[in-house]
Amino acid sequence: MNEISSQRGSRRRNGEINLGLAFVVPVIVIMGGLVLFPLVSTFVDSFYRINPMRPGTPFTGLTNYTDLFKDAAVQRSWINTFYYVILAVVLETLGGLGAALLLNKVRYGRRFLLAAVILPWCLPPVVNAVVWLWIYNPSYGLLNGLLQSTGLTSAPVVFFNDPKLALLLVTIVHVWRMMPLSAVILLAALQAIPQDLYQAAKLDGAGPIKCFRLITLPLIASGLAIALSQSTVFAFNLFDEAWILAGSSLDTRTVIIQVYMFAFQNMRFSLGMALSLLAMFASLLVSLVYVLKVYRETRFD
Amino acid sequence: MMNRYLKFMLSTALFLQIGVTGAALAEDAKPLAGQHLSVLLPPWGTLPKEMTDAFTAKTGIILDTQTLGWDDIHTKIVTSTVANTAPGDATEVDWSWVGQFGASKWYQPLDGLVSAEAVKDTPTAKIFTYDGKLFAVPYNNDFRVLIYNKTHLSKAGINTPPKTPDDLLKAAKAIKDAKISAYPIGLPLSATEGTSTTWYLLTKAFGGDLFDKDFKPLFVDPQSGGYKALSFEIQALKDGLIDPAVTGLKDVEVQELFKSGKISFDIAGWAGNLAVYADASKSQVANDVAAALMPSTTGATRTIGLPEAIGIPAASANGKAAAAFINWMLEPETEIGSFKSLGNLPPRLSVLKQLNGEGALKDGEILLAQAAAVEPLFAQGTPGWYPEFSSAVATAINQTAKGQLTVDQAVQQIAEAAKTASQE
Repeated sequence: MNEISSQRGSRRRNGEINLGLAFVVPVIVIMGGLVLFPLVSTFVDSFYRINPMRPGTPFTGLTNYTDLFKDAAVQRSWINTFYYVILAVVLETLGGLGAALLLNKVRYGRRFLLAAVILPWCLPPVVNAVVWLWIYNPSYGLLNGLLQSTGLTSAPVVFFNDPKLALLLVTIVHVWRMMPLSAVILLAALQAIPQDLYQAAKLDGAGPIKCFRLITLPLIASGLAIALSQSTVFAFNLFDEAWILAGSSLDTRTVIIQVYMFAFQNMRFSLGMALSLLAMFASLLVSLVYVLKVYRETRFD
Repeated sequence: MMNRYLKFMLSTALFLQIGVTGAALAEDAKPLAGQHLSVLLPPWGTLPKEMTDAFTAKTGIILDTQTLGWDDIHTKIVTSTVANTAPGDATEVDWSWVGQFGASKWYQPLDGLVSAEAVKDTPTAKIFTYDGKLFAVPYNNDFRVLIYNKTHLSKAGINTPPKTPDDLLKAAKAIKDAKISAYPIGLPLSATEGTSTTWYLLTKAFGGDLFDKDFKPLFVDPQSGGYKALSFEIQALKDGLIDPAVTGLKDVEVQELFKSGKISFDIAGWAGNLAVYADASKSQVANDVAAALMPSTTGATRTIGLPEAIGIPAASANGKAAAAFINWMLEPETEIGSFKSLGNLPPRLSVLKQLNGEGALKDGEILLAQAAAVEPLFAQGTPGWYPEFSSAVATAINQTAKGQLTVDQAVQQIAEAAKTASQE
């Protein structure tokens, strides 16, 4: 009897294992084929010279990487990218947190407000950039119109002639589209906080700022880390906004635009691969900081 | 009964015989009938439906034209070819890509596939050879000529077009002072190809060249044509003769400004655009536009030819249909139709002369005189590093226009970029 039941038991366990494998194998195959294999292949190819204009693909070691460090345009694009990342992350997180706190307080009509907040995020990035291109246009743009009608400027301003202003304007376009995502993530984290914690704190005499600092912030730490990570990664990968608004202009060029120019304009594919890997490592490194320092497993029991 | 039956069988047999032979003959006349051909061209290569319908009626080939902005076609070709798919069965091949695509062997040689007689009649076809093989056939005989608004000029009291760059500046100043146009000179200064080609053209206008025969830069010396050309552009910008907003405008956007009458001089005017500017349904300055020979400091006008062609990607599965399309594009009626509808100046000399003889070429004498002074930008053939170099030129000029570099720093940066690009 026992033997039969244990045989049945082990058969059930094998069945469960096989079922588990059957569920997991497609994901592994897809991730392996679409993510891992290209990653490894790009990494290996970055140590060769791959240029269809020249015969063969000789091994060049670290030459691609050393060439990147010496290139002035690449250095400038790194500076631009870090500027975008820092500004975009700060604006998206502060703005997202503010929006999430306000939405959390709203009792009636929260769904409609949330839909309105998410609307910019639904726009395709290129459409978003084209709309802002018209807003920023020196001759017929809305921004110049507003500035002149309020008397702040007397003549149309060519915004993209000033490099610092150009970077800020591109960041604003990116932040306008991406902030809703941070807001949604942080709102979800806020809504998971039990209200009796706040009531208990009020009874103990804590004011709103103390409540925010000692209850809200620690308990949304996990959501905050996720929001920071996704802001950082998207800002590192900024391409559409900078490309549509200013093309290959060096003032606004990001690392990813430089990758595109190396690979598809100049046909120096392995150089582009090396740079894209460096961009990946940079964004991974920054995200690692968030995961290690900010993320906390939250339990409410 | 038998007789009737026999007669019926005989007539059926005869009918089938004739019918099948007739059908076979008809198919021989259109051997490629029913095939689909995808063609990738910029907006000025996208022929109107009446013309493409005529092609389908003649050959039976069904045309599927994809239109992409010029700056985007190169990317599409590169990404598709790297993925081992043809970007189209026939695609645009710009003169500037010949070095890159020729060295990469991405296009099929056309010798033997296209009409040799038509190619001989097309002087600019030479630009599209690599290693002695023809890789694309021109459909657009773009060369540059000075296009100006003669009404603006006459209102400012000037009755002859400028012959030197100095005359051009004086005329622009007069137009600005008379408040006819706020920014009379139109040329792009954004980080795009149109900016680079305008500078190359002005280099020739100042009597210079870009490189010597060993590809050593000739524009670093302050006395050189290239240096003077860049100084001319920046000074005109500083003097308020060029709109500061052009640092964000491509050449096609500057052309729109000319069409709307906002600027007086389309400096790097596309020769074929004269027909478009003179068309009242497409431009507001149809009665005011005129062409003049490119100004020059040396007294002899010089200009560059930047033709565009059609080639067949190596990965194309429909080479025969694509060749039929190219041969059709080379026919005089097609070149004339393309000129009248889209402003593509015919690449065949005989067709150009025919059009001029009919009086169908606006300012035809000027165009023919300018065509005689066309030089290729690289006499030795376009190098594979040209796109990288040209992008660096546009970037440097864009930075200089924004005040981030001096002219001196810009030419040094361009020379450095040429060295790096050619050494890769």
